[in-house]
Amino acid sequence: MTGDPSRPDDPSTPNEHAGEVVELPSATRATDIALDELELVYAFIYARVGNRADAEDLTQQVAMKAIPRLRQGAPASAIRGYLFATARSVLGAFWSMRLGLSQAELHEDLVLAVPQGPTSDEPAERAQRILAGLSDNYRRVLELRFLHGYSLKEVAAEMRSTVGAVKVMQLRALRAAAKVDTDA
Amino acid sequence: MPEKPENRVERIVSDLLRGRRLRLRAGDAEEKEAITAAARFASASQGPQRMSPAFRRRLAEILESTPRETWLTRRAALVAGLGVAAGALAGGLVGRSLEPGGGPALQAASSPVLPKNGRWTDVGALADFKEGAGKLVKAGAVGAFVFRRGESVSAVSSMCSHLPCELWWDAKPGLLDCPCHPVSFTPDGKPSSPSYTLPDLNEVKARVTDAGRVEVLGT
Repeated sequence: MTGDPSRPDDPSTPNEHAGEVVELPSATRATDIALDELELVYAFIYARVGNRADAEDLTQQVAMKAIPRLRQGAPASAIRGYLFATARSVLGAFWSMRLGLSQAELHEDLVLAVPQGPTSDEPAERAQRILAGLSDNYRRVLELRFLHGYSLKEVAAEMRSTVGAVKVMQLRALRAAAKVDTDA
Repeated sequence: MPEKPENRVERIVSDLLRGRRLRLRAGDAEEKEAITAAARFASASQGPQRMSPAFRRRLAEILESTPRETWLTRRAALVAGLGVAAGALAGGLVGRSLEPGGGPALQAASSPVLPKNGRWTDVGALADFKEGAGKLVKAGAVGAFVFRRGESVSAVSSMCSHLPCELWWDAKPGLLDCPCHPVSFTPDGKPSSPSYTLPDLNEVKARVTDAGRVEVLGT
């Protein structure tokens, strides 16, 4: 058992959801509220998979799983809690399937993936924070590759190195970045 | 010859920087930390992301067109062992057909899983089950953790009673942990934290035959 079960980002209390049959309101407003919340979910997922196609598939999965929970009169915050909890579950299943790992092996990663909130986790700010924690060479290779869009060859020229060496450095930089992210 | 780790990660980075899907291969899990970091950097390099208008329209259509008669509660889906499909449009009807007694969608907390037309599935010899240790078994669509107590067995659903995630057995504290949020359950299905009220896990019917085989009531 880890973490504080009463932390604020937990989904709404289970009793609120246990076994009820809820109806999607017929009003378009309910759809609009759900879509606005799903917009945040999409950004959250995109920040973790880094591409549009996977982000759309996973967001759609979240929406479909959440349909029974979208109910008339429910505040956006209640919907958000459930959507983000579902997004974490969907992301866990995604990585588990793509990497061929069991959910148990992903356990720690999933705990780490718990969001503090949709606005406190801006990908660019987070990336800058992580880069700041890396050594100069590692930071440089990731900046050139990801933030400036350099090819491996261009990075090698810029850093007066070889493509092979840059590839190895990129791998080590990403491993180090993951560690900084974990320690943060 | 196995692909070198740096080439493996470069292939994924290159795809991400071209906006392609994550195409992972066997063995990529060894670099999962680097891969997930690459995905985060790729996302950061592309700025704030919003859904495309076409995708937003598609989602709106899905939300508005879902027939009400196909909705089901997540709990009903879990009882049927179909947690992952809980929101799937087609899943509703399947879930209903598997509800105990074919009754209404509502399920009382910790009610036993009694699939309509359920059948007993052999999940191994009693000797294969360690005393007090949870063992995950599948009986058709029903997933369960079976616990041996002497010459008898008991079982609970392998799905968390809160989120649709499959639990895992954590041997050290002797608890079933949910990978999706910080909750655990005891082998008899009770939530282990008194400060976080959750429904009990659903009981799954299990028995030991005269021949010393363990059977679980599944689909």
